[in-house]
Amino acid sequence: MGQKPHLLFIYEGGKDVRKLKKLIDTEAGLAYLILIPTSVIIFLMAYLPALQSFKFSLMHYNVRVPWKIYFVGVKNYIKILQDPNFYNALWRSLYFTVVSVVIIIPLAMIFALTLNQEFKFRGILRAIVILPWAIPPVVNGFIWKWMLNGDYGFLNGILYQIGVISTYHPWLKNPFAALNWAILTFVWRFTPFVTILLLGALQSIPQMIYDAAKVDGAGAWSRFRYITLPMIKGILSIAIILISIYSFTVFDEIYTLTGLDPATKTLMMYDYELAFEKGKFGLGSALAYMLGIFLFVMAALYIRRISREVEL
Amino acid sequence: MLLWTLTPIYWVVLSAFSTPVELYSTPPHWLPRHPTLENFKSVLITGKGFRGSKGVTATELIRKGLRNSVIVAGSTTFLMLLIAPLLGYIFARLKFKGKKFFFFYMIGMIAVPSWPVLIGLFAEFSKLHLLDTLWGLIILSVAYRMPFDMWFMQGYISTVPRELDDAARIDGCTRLGLIYKVVLPASLPGLIAVMIISFLFSWNMFMAPLVLTYTLKSKPITVAISEFVGQYYAEWNLMSAGSLIAIIPPILMVIIFQKYIIKGLTAGSIK
Repeated sequence: MGQKPHLLFIYEGGKDVRKLKKLIDTEAGLAYLILIPTSVIIFLMAYLPALQSFKFSLMHYNVRVPWKIYFVGVKNYIKILQDPNFYNALWRSLYFTVVSVVIIIPLAMIFALTLNQEFKFRGILRAIVILPWAIPPVVNGFIWKWMLNGDYGFLNGILYQIGVISTYHPWLKNPFAALNWAILTFVWRFTPFVTILLLGALQSIPQMIYDAAKVDGAGAWSRFRYITLPMIKGILSIAIILISIYSFTVFDEIYTLTGLDPATKTLMMYDYELAFEKGKFGLGSALAYMLGIFLFVMAALYIRRISREVEL
Repeated sequence: MLLWTLTPIYWVVLSAFSTPVELYSTPPHWLPRHPTLENFKSVLITGKGFRGSKGVTATELIRKGLRNSVIVAGSTTFLMLLIAPLLGYIFARLKFKGKKFFFFYMIGMIAVPSWPVLIGLFAEFSKLHLLDTLWGLIILSVAYRMPFDMWFMQGYISTVPRELDDAARIDGCTRLGLIYKVVLPASLPGLIAVMIISFLFSWNMFMAPLVLTYTLKSKPITVAISEFVGQYYAEWNLMSAGSLIAIIPPILMVIIFQKYIIKGLTAGSIK
């Protein structure tokens, strides 16, 4: 008698498996079976924490003193808007973003046009040019910190060797210079990524068009201006959006390059300091939401762009 | 172009293989006269001269960091290889209610900025006991790969001719079998791109683990390196050796799969 429920269980189980198999075989069944769990994970890893920190942004909450937590409404936001450090960080972030876009786009364009030519060792050269993109950003920050080091760094060594300077110079000392070096560090890592994007776009332009233009007597510049540019306009705007998003949110590089030095304290660094160095989760969340507005707009633009190409 | 790309890399390689005497002269020796493995030995075996917090040695930091990164990046990559084709197939081929909703629900994740998420995640992870665990990092990086890889595989699979599916269906293939036996081989380059990008993403991840891990049990190599750099005072040769160890796996990935990266990224224009 005792075994009966057991057998029943197996029988029921077998039925369930068969049912499941049938379900997987229908279009909607398979779709929901996969999409529901993945959507739950995404909810837990992205949407829920974002909501959670929105709640924090309306509260006075320091993780170091968790018993003193109370609702303050929009006070955190007002506090940040009255904070001169916020504006300084904002300008640094905007400067960082604009300069990055202005440098990376032409640089990547030159790289992509070069790598699109037919020549020996093109494959190897392409692999090398991609390398900085694969290096962990936090290590990239270290590499440049060491390049620019005032005592034994590469830049000092090479300039001294060729006779440009006679004594070593601490390159990261001057605040404005430090910010510019931080930009260079980011530019070095991100240019390859944009190069790949542009290269792909260039490859999709049929050679025929160029040949026809040549026959009509168009020079190299006008071929670039009137064929290449219009043909890659779409990917170019995607590239600009992506550079903006990633340069606005640079964190890893600055963390190792200059740490929490005020000279390079962008909004991302400032928010890290507020939330995790000082434990002010309330204020940190409010700031996170304010810098999130910019990112949200950029990302929404990006999604609109890419979804134009997706047919559902 | 070569100079721009290779100079910083060369400088680290040079520093890692140089003796301190040659490296710290003015100007430094541009080619090591006595190339040495001593720096790697110090970092990986003897752990010389490191002042870690709570008595952590450099050796432990790097070794455990490497182990954790291999586990996290390896699992993420493996899981994405399983999930990405399924998600891609679902959005490329199947008809079902709420398809648009699910698509934008996933893609919309890209628009959620990272700091709000991280602050919330810290609170959530501590409630779920996921703080300072490898599991937490794996789930997180898988979740963040999903929208990109889904979108990418969707694009790739929709270029595979539908006739292939139909033929296999008539032969009595189940839908799951169809995805892995028929559609996947036809979109292999896309899958390889997913593999590389997922690996690089989780190997290079820094901000999230910096906040969500705090012991050797789960600190990945990127966090280990940042500590390393912070605490090895002016031992640039040793720091270079450590950094070089951390960048070898991603660099190998790129060199081996170079062809697929260009194809892959351009097909999707994603990161």
